[in-house]
Amino acid sequence: MTNSIAEIEFAQVILVSGSNTTVAHPQVARRIYDAVDRGAKLIVIDPRSTRIARLAHIHLQIESGSDIPLLNGIMRCIVDDNLQDAAFMAAQTENYQALNDTLMAVNLDEVAAITRVDKALIQQAARLYATAECSTICYCLGVTQHICGTHNVQSYANLAMLTGQVARESTGVNPLRGQNNVQGSCDMGGLPNVYPGYQAVTDEVVQAKFEQAWGVPLSNTVGRPLLEMTHGDSTAKALSAMLIVGENPMLSDPGLTHVEATLKSLDFLVVADLFLTETAQLADVVFPAASFAEKTGTVTNSERRVQLMNQAIEPIGECKNDGEIIMELSRRMGYEMDYPDSAAVMDEIAALTPLYGGMHHDRLIGSWGLQWPCLDRNHPGTNYLHKNKFSRGKGYFSPANHIEPAEATDNDYPFVLITGRAYHHYHTGTVTRRCSMLNREHNIPWLDIHPDDANRLGLNFADKVVVASRRGQCTFSVCITDSVKRGDLYCDFHFHEAPVNLLTLTAADPIAHCPEFKRCAVQVIKEVL
Amino acid sequence: MTVTALLKKENLTPLLVQLCQQRRLVAPVRNSYGDTMFSVIDDPTAVEIDLINQPQNSIKSFLFPQTETLSHYRLDHNDETGRSDYQFHATLPQVPPTVYFGVRSCDMNAVLYLDKIFNPKAGADPYYQQRRKNATFITLACQFPEANCFCDKTQSGPSMQRGFDLQLTDIGSHYHVTTAQDDCSRGHDLLSQFSASFCSASAADDTTMRQVNEKAQTMFSLAVDVERCVTLLNDSPPSAPLLQQLAARCQGCAGCAFVCPTCSCFTISDQKLSDQHGERVRRWDACTFTGFTKMAGNHNPVDGESQRMTKRFLHKLQHDVALYGQVSCVGCGRCVDMCFGGVDIVRFINGVCAVDDEGSLAGTVGDGSLGDE
Repeated sequence: MTNSIAEIEFAQVILVSGSNTTVAHPQVARRIYDAVDRGAKLIVIDPRSTRIARLAHIHLQIESGSDIPLLNGIMRCIVDDNLQDAAFMAAQTENYQALNDTLMAVNLDEVAAITRVDKALIQQAARLYATAECSTICYCLGVTQHICGTHNVQSYANLAMLTGQVARESTGVNPLRGQNNVQGSCDMGGLPNVYPGYQAVTDEVVQAKFEQAWGVPLSNTVGRPLLEMTHGDSTAKALSAMLIVGENPMLSDPGLTHVEATLKSLDFLVVADLFLTETAQLADVVFPAASFAEKTGTVTNSERRVQLMNQAIEPIGECKNDGEIIMELSRRMGYEMDYPDSAAVMDEIAALTPLYGGMHHDRLIGSWGLQWPCLDRNHPGTNYLHKNKFSRGKGYFSPANHIEPAEATDNDYPFVLITGRAYHHYHTGTVTRRCSMLNREHNIPWLDIHPDDANRLGLNFADKVVVASRRGQCTFSVCITDSVKRGDLYCDFHFHEAPVNLLTLTAADPIAHCPEFKRCAVQVIKEVL
Repeated sequence: MTVTALLKKENLTPLLVQLCQQRRLVAPVRNSYGDTMFSVIDDPTAVEIDLINQPQNSIKSFLFPQTETLSHYRLDHNDETGRSDYQFHATLPQVPPTVYFGVRSCDMNAVLYLDKIFNPKAGADPYYQQRRKNATFITLACQFPEANCFCDKTQSGPSMQRGFDLQLTDIGSHYHVTTAQDDCSRGHDLLSQFSASFCSASAADDTTMRQVNEKAQTMFSLAVDVERCVTLLNDSPPSAPLLQQLAARCQGCAGCAFVCPTCSCFTISDQKLSDQHGERVRRWDACTFTGFTKMAGNHNPVDGESQRMTKRFLHKLQHDVALYGQVSCVGCGRCVDMCFGGVDIVRFINGVCAVDDEGSLAGTVGDGSLGDE
C-alpha cells in the first residue's frame, strides 16, 4: 500500500475495486465502515454485489475483466469536466500526453457497452473521486488476476496521478495483500528477479554486496516465475527438483492437470508444510514445519508494517521452523549457515536491505511495528509513500487500452466463472479445513448463480451441478443469489472436493505472470441422481 | 453480618504469597507484551499484578474453558455378539481450590450469571460445578472504569454488596476489606485464617470506603441508557431497519461472544483420535455464527446478513430480563473494544433509544444512500 490502513477512515471518497473487503480484509472493511459513518462516499467496482458493494453509494458492476475501459471512461469524464490536477501533474508526473491521447480516443458509449455500466454512473463516480479533497483507492485480486493485471493496476495509478490523489495522507493506490506476510515474502526476495528489498539480481553492485556478505559467488540470472515451474513441458523437463515451502500448488495453481504432470515428472520433490497437503502427498520427502505460534519472527503486512510475533507454544512433535529447515539443508549442502535466532537474521536483513535498514527486533518489541522504508536505527518508519517526490522521480503515466479476456463465452460455454475466497477459509484450507468450527460454518463448495439463470436451468437451492470448462470439471452445490449478475457464476477455490483450478486458465499477465483466475468460460449441467 | 477490615498495601503481596501456598491463585497480570490478562500465578513476587487496567479476558474461561474434553470414547468389538459398541467414559476436570483475586464487579456479576446457566436447580453442569465449587473470589471495587465501561448502567458495578467472598476498596494507604451482605462463610474464613495480614477498620474507614465507591459511580463517561432500552424492547420489538443496518456491518467473527463474560453458548463435537478411539469436546459457540442455527440440508431459519445480531442483543436485554429480572450484559465494555464493524451492544442500545426519539434511524448508522450527491 502507498498509504496506511488507518488513513482510510479519514478519506472523503473510497474507491474499492476487485476486493471483497468485508470477507477478505475485515480489518480494512472496518475502516471503510467507519469512514462511511463519518460521511465518506464509497464507490465499489466489482462484477459481484458483495457486502461492501451493497454498502456503496455507487456500485459499478462491471463485466469481469473490463477495468481498463472503465478507468479510461472515468478519466475521460474527469478531463472533460476539467477536474484533473494540472499543478500536481506538472510538478510530479511525466508522459501525460500519451494518456491524454488515449483518453481523447475513448468513446463513453463504447465504454458503457464493454463494461455494462451505465454512463451516468461512470460520470458520477468520476466527479466524486476527482473533486474530494482526499480520495483513496483500495484494490485486490479482482484487479490483478487478469491477463491485463499489470495494465489494470497502472490504470488505477493513472487515475490517482491525474487527480493528485496520491502522495498525501488518506489518498493513494492501495493493494490489499491477501495474507499477514505476503508483503514480507516479496520484500524478502521471494520473487525470481530480486534480492531482499527489491534489489535486482542483475545489478552488479548489488550482486557484489551479497557475494561479499555471504562469501560465495552468486548468479545474476533471473529465476523462473511460478507458472513456468509448475507448468513446465513435462517431456522436456525445465526443473529436476523442487523444494516447496508452505504452498499447495496442487490446489492453488491454475490448470491443475498440468501442475500434477509437472510435479510428478520431477526427479525429486521436497515439501515443507504443517499438514500432508495435496502437494505434499506427491513429495519424495516431507518436512513437518512449525506454525506461526511455534516460532518468533516478523511478518510484514499490506501497509508495509513489520511486526514482531512472539512464540506462544513449543513446537509440536518433531517439527522445525522454516529457518531451521533451511539452515539444516544448507549445512548438508556444504554452506555452514548458523544463525542463533531470528533476531540475528533480522540484523543481517537490516544490514543488506536499505528499506529495512532500521528494522531490528529490539525496536519492534512492545510496539505495533514499523513501516518501511525505515532506513536506519533512528528512522521512524514511513506512513505513506511518494511524499514530495515519487520513488522513481516523476510519476509515469502508462496508458492502456482494453485487452479482451483470454477466453470468451460462447454457446457451448455460456457462463463466466469468477473464483475467489470465503470468510472462513484460507487459501487451500491446509489449516482452516482442519478446524471443526470453521468447517461447520463453511464445508460445502457452493456455486453462486443468478436466480434467472437458475430458473432457466431448473435448479433449486443445494442442487448438485457439474461445472465444466474446456479443461476439466467439478461438482458444486447451487446457491441462488443475485450477488452475481446474469451469466456470471462465482465459487471459492478452498475445496479439494471441488478443485476449481481444474477449470481455470493458465493464461497469465505477460509482465507480472499472474494467472487469469477471475474469468473463464464454463457450462453448468444439473447432476442427475 | 458484614465484617470489615483493613489491609495495608505492603501486606498485599505477602498475603498473596500465603494464599499461593494453599491454593491456585489467579489474578490480573501485566505480561511482557504489555497485555493485562487473568493468569495463573505461581509466585506473586515474580509478576506484575495489574489492578489498574481491565484484564482483556474475563473469569469465564477459567470456569468454562474455550475447549473442554467431556468424555473419551472407545469402539470395542464384542466377540460374542459380533458387534462393535461405543463405550463413553466421562472425564471430569481435576481443578485445585482456586482464589480469583482482583476481579472487578462486572466480571464477578458475570460469574453469578454463569451460575444461573450452569448451576440451575434442575441440575448442575458437572464440569462447571467441578471448577466453581472450590473457587474463592477476592474482588476489587473498581475505581478505574475504561472509556467503554458502563457497569453503572447495568447495575453490575463498579462495586458490589453481595456475591463475592471478600471485596477490596483502595482507600489510599490501605485496602478496605469487606465481606458480603449475603454472609458467605468463605470471606469470614479468609479473614480469620489470615488475620495477621489484616487490621481492624474504624467506622471512619467504612465511611471513606463508601465515599470512594460513590465517587467511582461518577467516573463513567459512556452515554448509554440501558434501562430505557429494556423498557422499549419490552413494549415493542426492535426496529427491523436498525437490526439490518447493524447486521450488515457485523463481520461474523464472534469476537463479541468470545470476550463476553456472560455469553455461554457451546457446541459439542466428536474428535476422532484413531479408528478405535476419540474424544467428545465442547467448545464456545456464538449465535452470530451462521452454523449456530444451520439445519440439516443447509437450511437456516436465521438470515445471516440481516438477523444475526438480533438473538445476541435480545438475549441479553430482553429474554434474560424476563427470566431473571435483570439484563445479562454486565457493562464490561469488552465487546465494544473488540468489534471490527462497530455493531456492539452500546450502539444497539443507543440505536433503539434513537429510533424512539426520532421515529427514524437518522444519525444512528450510515444509511448507504448517496444523500445530496
